[in-house]
Amino acid sequence: MSARGAVYDRGYRPYDGPRGGRAASVLALYKASVRRAVGLRRSWRQKFLPLGLLAVVSVPAAVNVGIGYATRNSPLEGFSFFTYREYVGVSSALLLFVAVCAPDVVCPERRQRVLPVIFARPLTGTDYVAAKLGAIFSLVFAFSLLPQVLLYVGQTLVSKDGSLHYVSQHADVLWKVPVAVAALALYYAALSLAVSSLTARRLVAGASVFGLVIISSVVAHILNEAGALGGRGPLFNLLSLPLVVRDLVFLGHVYPQSPLAGVAGAGALAVVGYVVVVAVSVAVLLWRYRWAER
Amino acid sequence: MPRGLVGLVGANGAGKTTLFRLLLGLARPTEGAVEVCGRAVAADPVGSRARLGYMPEHDCLPLDQSAADVVATLGELSGLPPRAARQRASEILDLVGLDEARFRPVGGFSTGMRQRVKLAQALVADPELALLDEPTAGLDPTGREEMLALVARLASFGISVLLATHLLDDVARVCDHVVMLDAGRLVVAGPTETLLRQTGKLTVEVNAGVGRLARALADRSLTVVADGPFRDDEGGSVDVVVGTDPGPVLDTIRDVLADLGLPLHRLSSRAGSLDEAFTLGGTLDGSGGAGPGGWGP
Amino acid sequence: MSALPDVAADGSAVDPAFVADPTVVVSGLSVFFGPKVALSELSCSFGPGVTGLLGPNGAGKTTLMRAITGLLTVSAGRVWVAGGDPRHDRAVQGHVGLVPEDEAVPGGLTPRQLTRYRAALHSVADREAPERWLAVVDLLDVADRPMDGFSKGMRQRAKVAAALVSNPTVLILDEPLNGADPVQRVNLIRLFRQLGDQGRTVLVSSHVLYEVERLAERVMVLVAGRLAAAGDRRGIRDAMADRPRRVLVRADPPRVLAAALAGHEAVGGVEVDGDRLTVATRRAGDLALALPGLARQAGVRLWEVRPLDESLEALFRELVR
Repeated sequence: MSARGAVYDRGYRPYDGPRGGRAASVLALYKASVRRAVGLRRSWRQKFLPLGLLAVVSVPAAVNVGIGYATRNSPLEGFSFFTYREYVGVSSALLLFVAVCAPDVVCPERRQRVLPVIFARPLTGTDYVAAKLGAIFSLVFAFSLLPQVLLYVGQTLVSKDGSLHYVSQHADVLWKVPVAVAALALYYAALSLAVSSLTARRLVAGASVFGLVIISSVVAHILNEAGALGGRGPLFNLLSLPLVVRDLVFLGHVYPQSPLAGVAGAGALAVVGYVVVVAVSVAVLLWRYRWAER
Repeated sequence: MPRGLVGLVGANGAGKTTLFRLLLGLARPTEGAVEVCGRAVAADPVGSRARLGYMPEHDCLPLDQSAADVVATLGELSGLPPRAARQRASEILDLVGLDEARFRPVGGFSTGMRQRVKLAQALVADPELALLDEPTAGLDPTGREEMLALVARLASFGISVLLATHLLDDVARVCDHVVMLDAGRLVVAGPTETLLRQTGKLTVEVNAGVGRLARALADRSLTVVADGPFRDDEGGSVDVVVGTDPGPVLDTIRDVLADLGLPLHRLSSRAGSLDEAFTLGGTLDGSGGAGPGGWGP
Repeated sequence: MSALPDVAADGSAVDPAFVADPTVVVSGLSVFFGPKVALSELSCSFGPGVTGLLGPNGAGKTTLMRAITGLLTVSAGRVWVAGGDPRHDRAVQGHVGLVPEDEAVPGGLTPRQLTRYRAALHSVADREAPERWLAVVDLLDVADRPMDGFSKGMRQRAKVAAALVSNPTVLILDEPLNGADPVQRVNLIRLFRQLGDQGRTVLVSSHVLYEVERLAERVMVLVAGRLAAAGDRRGIRDAMADRPRRVLVRADPPRVLAAALAGHEAVGGVEVDGDRLTVATRRAGDLALALPGLARQAGVRLWEVRPLDESLEALFRELVR
């Protein structure tokens, strides 16, 4: 009988497998950024804020559904705290969410000087911006949509006249909500990322996002009070600008009770304002990460 | 620059960073063209980066993720499929000696460990050429030896290395070729061996009797370079000039030593250090003004 | 100063950790940072000339330097510098210059401003001193540029000039060559040697052992807060003479010499790899004596003879294990 044995060389193995191109790199960066913002693969502390906020924002939906259920056979039926329209863009929560997440996906990479190592790889500045934008957009979109879904599904289930009836009654919600949410998500993602890309410190970035928006609302208020610009002051309010767009999606026109009602061309101007904000933000981002552009 | 291990040295500001950026396709040359691994960089700057690995001098790692996670993510960024990236990250971290610590957050690592993670991320995508910027910076002597040993092995993996460093000793130990930059110009380039052996002299060091050795060698018609007066019985070293055929000279030295019964401590070609080749090769006087005597109060 | 150790008849200190005519004496020094023991009952001394301080990261080199310059409170033991206590004695502090390792430089300062500030701080009478030292470290042409734009090497040179402006008799340098390019390294090493030759007491820590070899006649090795070795190069080499040593011999033909060596009683073993013989011995001196004769007898040409463990590297490796 012969003995058999071998010692294997655990040395270096070259890689011969498939390699993705730029698209694969962008996707990888996108996934890594999403993971980072949500706190996956990191300590529990990191997960707390985003998920906590999500829970907070979903509470009204749950409450609404609960009330709908409880009152379904009573004279109070059909009562709801808020409409779908109003629920889209629970602005302060959204703002808080992006003010936390956006800095987290761009500031540490700048601060810890990881960028040279990232750009030594086969991707360009544009790719980087696309991945980060995509990540925050996805997160904000999901963050805003989830409570809506909760609300819709809940209402459908507790509806007195049956689910199908509810669905046919509220069919327009099925497309209006996602579109409005997407518009908001893009807006907030671009804005918060652009501001965050200007600094390496997360706290400064988050505070700046808040600060910028608050200041703009103050400016808008002042303009409005002063009656300047023919009442178009509120368009400068970064916080409410996307909400006007939302109203356009839901109602087809400016909300009657908003300060812009009655202002000529307010709707069109709001759209222009929205586009300007997003475009400028993207331009800032591309400029900040231009050094890999060749 | 040829395949293998190439050392890159130069004064601060001589153009090392710029060279790296050119090689990575992150900067465009004003004149001329850059070719890496046989491919022109200008034609596809982004794609040519896929074959490169870069290890910066400064800290560049996200501190709150584990080493395995960092390297795997960076591997994916280089285009590796996720599973392959994770496998390779594990393998490479094992290779650089971090197998146990690889699931701990990078923030808690010592300098030596961080340098290894930086090297790992440069290698994870199996590059053809690795650009290493001062890989031994901040490492204590043990760490430095281990890092240099790692770098030396890269050639056997089929990876060419461009090693930028301020320590000429690193280059002498590990590199096959050396390139020196001064103010953006190439000054000296050549295999390390030839640069080291430029001096044409042999050093003989004895533990006792250096004076007698010097005289005896001179008596045998060898050219002895004196470095000061030799005490007869003390230990010391003499330099002997060697022509094109060192053989007979070596034999003479051996015979003299045997005849005189002197204890031979060392016999080697006068270690032309890389320093001498460096300063011989051009007007490398740093930021101006260091004459032959160097500085002095 | 009753803590000084015995001095032998010829004036040299008995224990190589001490010198006969020291400028700085450390006795039973312990420094704790909370639960962390940075230095543990360290005793040594050093004097004029350049002394190298070696040790792995975290061994306590920076802590020792800070204790010597009076920058921290010791937990136990004493430090004497030029006869006084560096922490409380202002006269002593005037004689000590420190070039610390950390990068922090007051923002926006230029080298000229830094050196002048230091000169003023120490009431230096010589008005030309800042300019002179700036010239020595070759920073005159950038003397008015703010240092935050400087490379690491340039900042180090500025700090060296600033420390020298007060003409200190004791100069403590913590990794002064960090970030310096090859030319600056050579020049700085030359400068430190000159300072040592002038009679100043210079303590230099560095991780680059082959540079320490050129820089210092005497070295001290710190490991885990304690002294692992001390002495001058030759002395350390001799202390290692009877430890197991290895010598590389390149010979032609190699195996003939290998056989001859294996037969010699000073040789512990011979490894052959091509034309290279690695000879293990516990009696390096006897091997050195025997080698030429053996080679001639066997008709073997010696191409190279090189002791493999006598460098600081080898010493370090052994001490740190």
